[in-house]
Amino acid sequence: MKNRGRNGFNHRMISLAFCLLWPTLTAASDKPVIAPAKFVYCSVCHGMDLKGNRNIQATRLSGMEAWYVSRQLEAFSKGWRGTHDADLPGIEMRPMAEALSAAEIDEAAHYVASVSSPMPIPTIQGDVARGASLYPSCGACHGSRAEGNQSLGGPALTTQNDWYLVTQLRNYRNGIRGQHAEDTYGQQMRAAAQLLAGETAILDVVAYISTMQPKEEN
Amino acid sequence: MNAKSISRRRFLELVGAAGGATAVYQTSLALGLMQETGAPASLNLLNIGRAKKTVAILGAGMSGLTIAYELERAGYDCRIIEASHRIGGRNLTLRSGDVVDEMGNRQVCQFDDEPHLYFNAGPARIPGHHRRVLHYCKVLGIDLEIMANDNRRAYTQEPEVFGGRPVQKREYMADARGFMSELLYKAANRNAFDMPMSGEDRERMLEFAIAFGDLDPNGLYKGSNRAGYASGGFLKAGELKGTLDFSELLKSNFWRYGMHFSETEDWAAPLMTPVGGMDNIVKAFVRNIRSPITLNAQVQSIQLRNDGVDIVYNHKGRQHKLAADYCFNSIPSHFIDGIHNNFPADYASGLATLERGHLSKIGLQMKKRFWEDEEIYGGITSTSQEIGEIWYPSHGIFKQKGILLGAYLFGFSRRTRAPSNFFEKMTPEERIRFAGEQGDNIHKGYSGYIENGVSIPWGRMNHMMGCGAGWSDEARDQYFSRLQNPEGRHYMVGDQISYHTSWQEGAFASAEFALQDLDRRVRAEMSAVATAA
Repeated sequence: MKNRGRNGFNHRMISLAFCLLWPTLTAASDKPVIAPAKFVYCSVCHGMDLKGNRNIQATRLSGMEAWYVSRQLEAFSKGWRGTHDADLPGIEMRPMAEALSAAEIDEAAHYVASVSSPMPIPTIQGDVARGASLYPSCGACHGSRAEGNQSLGGPALTTQNDWYLVTQLRNYRNGIRGQHAEDTYGQQMRAAAQLLAGETAILDVVAYISTMQPKEEN
Repeated sequence: MNAKSISRRRFLELVGAAGGATAVYQTSLALGLMQETGAPASLNLLNIGRAKKTVAILGAGMSGLTIAYELERAGYDCRIIEASHRIGGRNLTLRSGDVVDEMGNRQVCQFDDEPHLYFNAGPARIPGHHRRVLHYCKVLGIDLEIMANDNRRAYTQEPEVFGGRPVQKREYMADARGFMSELLYKAANRNAFDMPMSGEDRERMLEFAIAFGDLDPNGLYKGSNRAGYASGGFLKAGELKGTLDFSELLKSNFWRYGMHFSETEDWAAPLMTPVGGMDNIVKAFVRNIRSPITLNAQVQSIQLRNDGVDIVYNHKGRQHKLAADYCFNSIPSHFIDGIHNNFPADYASGLATLERGHLSKIGLQMKKRFWEDEEIYGGITSTSQEIGEIWYPSHGIFKQKGILLGAYLFGFSRRTRAPSNFFEKMTPEERIRFAGEQGDNIHKGYSGYIENGVSIPWGRMNHMMGCGAGWSDEARDQYFSRLQNPEGRHYMVGDQISYHTSWQEGAFASAEFALQDLDRRVRAEMSAVATAA
């Protein structure tokens, strides 16, 4: 019982036995971008190149503006987000944001803004024409092409996964997000979400937003 | 059908009603209706000699380690890529100084540095029919000991019944059986069954009821020493406890599950555990594997080719690419959508149907083994409070301190039965306080004995974010076979690809299935090559 052998693992951890069979290419030219060590954590849930992961309801971060990332990390940290019992993914995120200092939030926001990934693939079925007729009130803050507007506090929407937009619109409508008295932008958005008269309207407007994705070379 | 005869099925139903699942199992064996557990795993993999095949193993948990162990012995060239900082996956034994890499809540285990002060935060028990786990324990020379999973001296406690006081399980179970046997006796005596019994059968049924419930000769239950004596038994005659209030007993919920838990498929006594910690299995594999294991290596991309699989991973800030002939992938299925891949749509859809498990455990270092003063040595107390269970260590008896399992949660509220991650939401300090407060309702002064604790919410553990995967019946029907079988040269493995998720045996079984499949195809390929030559 004396030998716990715990250290037995450690010498193997770095075991990099050279092996001729294996073509090990460093700095491979494949797409994934290397995350700084401290931000590898982000990609565990948010996916490689922060492309999002629907299976665990993790937001696509690539394409998000640095100012918006900062604001949301602060919102999580202050408990404006990630405290409502029905917001399970938000609850999961919150301790991570709480662990970050102001400087680290800034650093994380700039890291996120530096990452890009292929545009999300639309998954939501909706009436695009009807969505287009509903969108102008959204466009007031998020821009007519959903490209975002920092001065009004509206982030870009086209870079977001459509399933995530649907979830968030539902959360705003149901008072799961944007309910905190100090969360001014959240409250604005909560009020705006009430303009969408129900589930069909949410799906329609999100389906329309997907059509405004800028065409990209891939 | 003859009125006096009774079908085997009906007979088993009666046995089951009277004696529970264990009795049915034993009786079925005796009647020759059920096969006994098969022989230990024997893979008999073809040694490929100089054929040189490379294998990328994603994940250094139990399935990955097994695959490396078996394949390197068959001449394959394996590499293991592990995203986290440690080997073993959810086979995790925590001791003094160990890091718990929880998202946003990094903890360092503060247990005293003593061999008996450890906590199996993942798998902790091995039943005798988990033949694959036991096969490797035997082959790798791992010392096992019996652990008391079931302890009739431990308690059942529910705030709503018996005034909230803990009741010894033996007392509850003896009285429950006594009361039910009395009813059975009365029914048999009046021949009140829908099918009349012969005189001889009825006589035996009456005797059965008396033996099963420890009834008096008139078929009445007046208490039993199975409940433990109130006093005496050594220098003076033992005095029976009074019986519990039958209405309270029915009002309780212990009979729904807790009372039969030690008769279920995987928890029937006796259970085993490696001496000194479950991770002895991990250590033994590591001692017996030559294949390189790279830790802190996060897989970024999995690309299937016709003749292999390309893996890109990030290690120490650099990208590495592995071009392997075969890939065995135990990455939790819920991460796959976040990893670049070229999986066919239906394969990816199947992987997306698995649900994350949300099991959590907390280990508490107690400065005194107060439970031994209550005549509890090992086993489990059950409670309808949120902590669910308290486990007493079977090892280290009479040492000064011990590690208790102070809560075992399954991702839902035991009070409302609704899904809830309230425990995950707490800080590590809040979790210890929470476990202490509820423990106080079971053991006097419980929270005062807590010196430190470590909580492991598997749904928040970095690079895992989940425990045993959940399969709906529909997902099983639609996708299990699809995911169990390879896509090209890529095999999904791990306990997630089994009917025994969150058990090590599931991981070993999945590995065995994948290895057998690989062996079949390699044998076919090599014989085709030989024929062509």
